[in-house]
Amino acid sequence: MPRPTSNTLSIPSLTAPVAMGYIPLGAVFGFLFVQAGGPGWLALVSSLLIYAGAAQFMMVPMLAAGLPIGAIALATLVLNLRHVFYGLSLLNTLPANRWLRWYSIFALTDETYSVLTALPARERAPRMALLSALNQGWWVLGTALGAVLGAQAQVGLTGLDFVLAALFAVLAVEQWRARRDAVPVWVAAAAYAAGNALMPSQALAIAIALCLLATALRPARPAPAAETAHD
Amino acid sequence: MTDTGYVLAVIALMALVTVLLRALPFIAGHWLRRHPMVHKLGASLPLSIMVLLLIDAAAGQARAHGGLPWQELAAVILVILLQWRTRQPLLSIAAGTALYVGLRAL
Repeated sequence: MPRPTSNTLSIPSLTAPVAMGYIPLGAVFGFLFVQAGGPGWLALVSSLLIYAGAAQFMMVPMLAAGLPIGAIALATLVLNLRHVFYGLSLLNTLPANRWLRWYSIFALTDETYSVLTALPARERAPRMALLSALNQGWWVLGTALGAVLGAQAQVGLTGLDFVLAALFAVLAVEQWRARRDAVPVWVAAAAYAAGNALMPSQALAIAIALCLLATALRPARPAPAAETAHD
Repeated sequence: MTDTGYVLAVIALMALVTVLLRALPFIAGHWLRRHPMVHKLGASLPLSIMVLLLIDAAAGQARAHGGLPWQELAAVILVILLQWRTRQPLLSIAAGTALYVGLRAL
């Protein structure tokens, strides 16, 4: 993919756009977590140990509702399944040092992945760990700011938790941009309608099962030419 | 949210699930790559799941206030259009959420 190379290769220019997103979004997470009644230090622990934005946003109402731990773990599994497919395309581009390698795997978020894939393959390994650490730093910093604000604010804004739906919409657009295949969208819409008709309280779980089934049974597409770009 | 042990257990399990998913391709990648089913799932499933989560999150918001989901629809359309045109996640999310908060305050 031709991209302007000279000014996209330095670490600050790679991490700056991520900082612009992670500090405010991390702050919304910290804010919502504290407003839902959680202690600020646990919001920080989440951002240090889980470090998966969409899953952390999803966890707030689930924790507030006191859902079973297994149900929250299952939801996390489904939500973060996409990370398996990210890793597959970065297979041979990890740092050589074992600790840096494991940290880079742990910290492979959507944004870090998309910044890395914008780099030429041989530039990725030496920059991956530092870039990942900076990106997580912005996320943790945002969380801390939001938790402090959330502890002081008196009124919650109704609808601020729409940020989760907005985040899913952004991720869906980016998945669409990568594949341009309408079938998964229609499969999902039909599966959710079916799940909602069968058992509204379990609509999502039923819909996920139906999507898995439909995807597995779908006849294979002729491989597009761009698929060979496994570098 | 006041039971620290419960919240810590959830965080630990979510962290474990997330890191295992991120590590799986690096542990079993060569095995995974050889299976056509993995390619098939990888090609379609992430988009399907994101659309499902989007519908479910928007429907959850709509259910919470009752009535028709026109506010959710308007805000989701704005996010999709902005993200498609600008590729700026922060801008798309901020504008969509601001519109939604505004519509709910009306």
